[in-house]
Amino acid sequence: MKHFKIFIWKEFLHIWRDKKTLLIIILLPIIEVLLFGFVLTSEINHVSLGIYDQDNSDWSGELTRSFENSRYFDLIRLYNEQDVEKALRGNRVKAVLKIKPEAEKSLQMGESGIMQLLLDASDPNIARTIEVYIMNMSSRFMKQAGNRKNLLDVQQLMYYNPDLKSVFKSVPGLMAVVLMLICAMMTSVSLAREKETGTMDVLLISPLKPGQIIIGKMVPYIAISFVNILMIIALSVFVFGVPVRGSLVLLFLFSGFYVVCALSFGLLVSTLVNTQQIAMMISLAGLMLPTTLLSGLIYPIRNMPRWLQMLSGVFPARWFVETLGHVMLKDSPVYYFLQPLGYILLITVILLLLAARRFKVRYD
Amino acid sequence: MAEKIIETVNLTKRFGDFTAVDAISFEVNKGEIFGFLGANGAGKTTAMKMLCGLLLPTSGQATVAGYDVYRQSEKIKLNIGYMSQKFSLFSDLTVWENIEFYAGIYRMPRQAIITRGEKLLQDLELASQKRRLIGALPLGIRQKLAFSIAIIHEPRLVFLDEPTGGVDPITRRRFWEMIYNATERGITVFVTTHYMDEAEYCDRISMMVDGKIKGLDTPANLKLQFKEKSMFDVFLQLAREKSHEAL
Amino acid sequence: MENNIRAAGISKSFGSQVALQELDFAAAPGEIFGFIGADGAGKTTLFKILTTLLRQDAGKAEVCGLDTDKDFREIRRIIGYMAGRFSLYGDLSVEENLKFFAQVFDSTLQENYELIRDIYVLLEPFKKRRAADLSGGMKQKLALCCALIHKPKVLVLDEPTTGVDPVSRREFWDNLKTVAAEGITTLVATPYMDEAMQCDRVALLQEGRILQIDRPAQIIADFPKAVIILKTEHNRNQLIRKLRKLPEAESVFSFGETIHVTCEPAIKGKLTAAIAAAESGISFQPEQAAGIEDCFLYYMQRADGRENN
Repeated sequence: MKHFKIFIWKEFLHIWRDKKTLLIIILLPIIEVLLFGFVLTSEINHVSLGIYDQDNSDWSGELTRSFENSRYFDLIRLYNEQDVEKALRGNRVKAVLKIKPEAEKSLQMGESGIMQLLLDASDPNIARTIEVYIMNMSSRFMKQAGNRKNLLDVQQLMYYNPDLKSVFKSVPGLMAVVLMLICAMMTSVSLAREKETGTMDVLLISPLKPGQIIIGKMVPYIAISFVNILMIIALSVFVFGVPVRGSLVLLFLFSGFYVVCALSFGLLVSTLVNTQQIAMMISLAGLMLPTTLLSGLIYPIRNMPRWLQMLSGVFPARWFVETLGHVMLKDSPVYYFLQPLGYILLITVILLLLAARRFKVRYD
Repeated sequence: MAEKIIETVNLTKRFGDFTAVDAISFEVNKGEIFGFLGANGAGKTTAMKMLCGLLLPTSGQATVAGYDVYRQSEKIKLNIGYMSQKFSLFSDLTVWENIEFYAGIYRMPRQAIITRGEKLLQDLELASQKRRLIGALPLGIRQKLAFSIAIIHEPRLVFLDEPTGGVDPITRRRFWEMIYNATERGITVFVTTHYMDEAEYCDRISMMVDGKIKGLDTPANLKLQFKEKSMFDVFLQLAREKSHEAL
Repeated sequence: MENNIRAAGISKSFGSQVALQELDFAAAPGEIFGFIGADGAGKTTLFKILTTLLRQDAGKAEVCGLDTDKDFREIRRIIGYMAGRFSLYGDLSVEENLKFFAQVFDSTLQENYELIRDIYVLLEPFKKRRAADLSGGMKQKLALCCALIHKPKVLVLDEPTTGVDPVSRREFWDNLKTVAAEGITTLVATPYMDEAMQCDRVALLQEGRILQIDRPAQIIADFPKAVIILKTEHNRNQLIRKLRKLPEAESVFSFGETIHVTCEPAIKGKLTAAIAAAESGISFQPEQAAGIEDCFLYYMQRADGRENN
C-alpha cells in the first residue's frame, strides 16, 4: 500500500508541475460549455421576422403585437409582395408571416388557412425552429384570445426542452467528450512518457506491481474528471438553467462508470504505443473524433446511415449521452438506464481484457 | 599571417541573469582543427550555436567565414557544415536520399550532387548500400557517412559536436583520419569532444570553464602551461580550480 | 567465493538481428564487472535480460541464485538499475525523486543513508532543484543515488557515463568503488576504454559476442603483440599513411599525441630501426607500454578480419 500511495503522490506532482496542461484540463470544459451555451446555439433570439398584414383588422393587429412583445422576434413590417421577396432574398428576414385579407372574417366563419408562413430554409435547422416557435405562439394567442375555437389546431411539439435550448442537448455530449479527452488521452500520454524517458524500465524492475502502476496512473485523472463533471454541471445549471430532474447520485455513478471505460481506452492505447506523440495522435483521431461526431453531440444519431449508427454503438460516449439524457432531462425510471449502462460495462470489460493481454511485464 | 575563419571579441550570451558565455575572444585559423573542450554546462553548446548563426549573442562581436553573426547568419549557414552525435542523418531515409537532401539544402547543382555523392560512397566503400535505410546501418558507419555528408558542399568550416560519442575505438580513429583528410583539403574543423585522447589530435584547444576560456593553445603548450602530463590532467586541474572558487 | 551473477549460453535475437550469441560470464559479490563495447554490441540487451525486462531465447541466467526467467519478481526487489538515458523524473526535485524511489522499494533515505552519503552530500545543496535543471554530472549522481537507495545486492548500470565530462566520470567511478566495498556486485557498460582499467574484470563485447574476458592487467599481460610507440614533429596523418604501407606493421593507430604500431614481438627491434631510418623528426617512447586499448583494438580487428573472410 505504501508503494501505491507514493506512486499516486508522484503522479499528482507530475500533473501539478505541468501547469500549462493542468490549466488546459481545467479550462477546457468551461470554455466548451460556454461555447456551446452561447455561441453554437440553435435556439432563437431576436430573429428578424417579416409581417405582411393584408387584413389590417383589430385581430391581426393584436396578433402582430403579440409577436412584437416577444424576445424571440424582431418585427419588420412589409407592405407588398415585392417587399416580401426582397426582404427574404436580402437576408433582412429569416421568415415572413403573411396574414391573408379578410383573415378575421374567415376565422369567425370557421375557415382555416388564414395565414401563410414563408421560411428561408437555407439553414434548415433554424427554419424548422422558427416554424415551431411561430406555431406555438399563434396557438397560444388563439387560446388567450378568449372563447374562440382553436381553429389552427397546433400541437405543442416540444417536450423536455420547450425552448429548444441546444445547451440542454450539448451538456451530456460535452461531458462525454471532455471526460474521454482527460481520461483516455492524458493517461495514455502519461504512460507513454514513462516509456519514452526510460523510467518505465525502472518502475517495472521495482517491486511495484503492474496493476499498481496502471491504477496509480488512473487515480489522479479520476479525481480531475470528477472536478470537471462538477464544473460542467454547475455551469449548465447556474448559467444556462439546464435542469437536473433525476438523481445527482445516479448522475455521478454513471459518470464514474463512463470514466473507468474511458480510462480503459487510454490504457489500451498506451499498451500499443511507445511515444507520447503517437499516443496523442491515436487518442485524437481514434477516440476524440468519433466521440465528438458519433455521440450525437453535433449530428443526431437517428439521421446517420445505419452502419454509422452501429459504429457509434462501439464508442461508450453514445451510451453515456443516452443515460445522461435520462437522468438530467427526463428522470426516467431505472430500467431505461439498464441497456445503455450495460453497453458501457461490456465495452469496459472488453477493453480491459485486451489491455491486460497487451500490457507487458517484460518486453518480448 | 594565416587567414582567420572565426574571430570573436568578448562574445557574450546571457539567459536572464545567468551568463552562459562570458566575453570569450578567440580566433580560428583556416585549415586548423580547433578543439572546443569543457565540462557539461560550461557553455560550449551555447557558444557553438551563436557561431552557427542559430542564436543571437547578447553582446560582443563575432565573424564566421568573414560574415557577421548578427546580420549575416544566412550567409554563414551556406558556408558551414554541421554534424552532431545526437542528430546526424534521417534514419527513415536511404543513404542516397540523405545525400540528395543535404546536398539539395546547400543548393548544389544536380550534376555535382551525383558526382560528389558517388565519390563519397566509393571512399566509404558504401556504394552497394546506396538504397539501404540509414537506420539499418551500424552507428560507426552512420557517423562516418554523416561527416562526409556534412562536408559534401565543401564548406569552409565544419562544426562537429561530440561526433564520436558511443563509437568503438577503431571507428573513432578512422573518423579522425577523415577529419585530417578534410583539413588537407582546406576545410577548417571546429570540434567538441569528451575523449581526452582526441583532444591531443587537435591543432589548438580552448578549455572552457563556466562560460570563460581558461586556456587556449596547442595541446603541448597547454600541458607545459599547466605543468601536467596529459590533457586529462589539465582538464582536471581546471575543474578543481572551479570547485575551489565555488567554496 | 559464491558468484552473485551467473550467465551461461545466453542468446537473443530480434527477428533476423542477432543481439547476443552464447554469452557466458559470472560476477562475484563486491566485484565491478565492466562490459566494454560500442553502441549495438549487445550491452543493453544483456542488461535487460539480467534485470528481467527481456527474456533470452536460449541459455540460463541467475541473479543471487534466482532464475531471471522464473523468479523475476524476486530479482526485481534486489536489483538496482540505472539506464544511460536519464531515467529519472525531470519534473520532480532531487528530494522528490529520492523519496519516490526509496518508498517504491520499501525503503527510506535514512535507512541506507550510509551507502549513499558520499554522493548525497554533493547533491544536497541542490535538493530543491528539479532534476531536469541539474548538470550532466549531477544527474548521474542523482540517478546512482536512486538506484542504490534500497541497498540492492546487484547494481546494473547501462552506460552511466556516456556524454559526461571526464571529471564527472572520474568522480562517478570513485563513487562506484565505495559501493563495491559494501559487497554490492556492479555491472557497468561503457564505451570508454579508459574506464576498463577501473573495473575488477572486463568483458570486451562486439556484435553480441565476448571477445575477451579477464582482469584488465591479465588482458594486457596476455597481449600477444608488441607495440612501438612514437611521436612525430611533422604531419601525423601523412606518417600514419606511410607506416600503414609497411608490411610488418599489423596496425597503425593514433593514440593521443602518439602513434602506436603493432607487430610480432620478434621483429619489434628490426621494425623500429626501419622506421627510424626512413622517417625524420620521430622520437620513440620506449618507456611507454601497451595498454588495455591496444589489446581491445587488436581483438576487435581480429574479430572483424574473421568476419570479412
